[in-house]
Amino acid sequence: MATSLLPVFQWLQSTFIGQTIRHSAALIALLEIVHLIGLALLIGTILMVDLSLLGFGIGRQPVSRIARELNFFTVMGLTIMLVSGPLILTSEAVRCYKTPAFWVKMALLAVAIVFHFSIHRRVTLADPPVPEPSARIVASLSLALWFGVALAGKGIAIFQPA
Amino acid sequence: MFLLSICQWVDSTPLSAMVRQSNWLFSTLDTIHTLGIVLVAGTIMLVDLRLLGFGLRSVPVAQLVARIVPSTLGGFGLMVVSGGLLFSSEAVKMYHSPAFRIKMLLLALAGLNALIFHRTIYRDVAHWDPASVVPARARLAGLLSLVLWIAIIAAGRAIAYAPGYDLG
Repeated sequence: MATSLLPVFQWLQSTFIGQTIRHSAALIALLEIVHLIGLALLIGTILMVDLSLLGFGIGRQPVSRIARELNFFTVMGLTIMLVSGPLILTSEAVRCYKTPAFWVKMALLAVAIVFHFSIHRRVTLADPPVPEPSARIVASLSLALWFGVALAGKGIAIFQPA
Repeated sequence: MFLLSICQWVDSTPLSAMVRQSNWLFSTLDTIHTLGIVLVAGTIMLVDLRLLGFGLRSVPVAQLVARIVPSTLGGFGLMVVSGGLLFSSEAVKMYHSPAFRIKMLLLALAGLNALIFHRTIYRDVAHWDPASVVPARARLAGLLSLVLWIAIIAAGRAIAYAPGYDLG
């Protein structure tokens, strides 16, 4: 039987950081703005790479070049989210623990990150001849996973636990 | 005042009541709105960064703009339609919200900046694109766009945190 993670989330929320953020609407708003900007960078860059894999590339630029030149900003967007996200979490850790959308987001995020840095990266850097079906499947999966992460994130705010 | 009476009228329409009274509809519109702005900002930032000399440096600006603009406009369409409906559900509240007014002003400035860019320096893109040095005016347009869209996201979030306003 799995041990409950609830005490961990209760502790997170009780920390100095959690309490400080929790009691400052300005800090929460600021962190959410930073989180959204990170998401925009991540989604924007991944969209360009995946559109290229789907055959809607930029001119005749190889997918691998687009991916290489955008990689810095993809990683930057992801890093911004992975710093701001947990800080937002500390301010309402117990509510997140009880919100299924939070767990859906974490599961999708884990899959998306592993997928992005393994299969997605390998296919992108191999420069598939554009109309290749497997490349299209990888691009579609990538888009579905990242948009799924974003939607589940919005879901945390919308669906309050019973 | 004129704008206030328009907002009062908007609040009295059946459409306004429909969005206001349905949590489900409001949340869906809110989600579409967020997705729209993430698409707009995420795509336009790539052009802005390129103009400033970052990111897709080996890709000509004209090629990048041609590929990205449809996604940006698509995101913008989602953002405007969902935003208009969200506004209609609480027009008078928005009328009194400083963050909302700032956001509308910033949106107008971002539109003006894009319009001026496309009507002036971008017309000569075929001349300066191969030189791999972006003209100062185009770099300025990129910087302004980057700053304005970040500010629009910030103002949009701030609307939700205005006193007495409760949005998830």
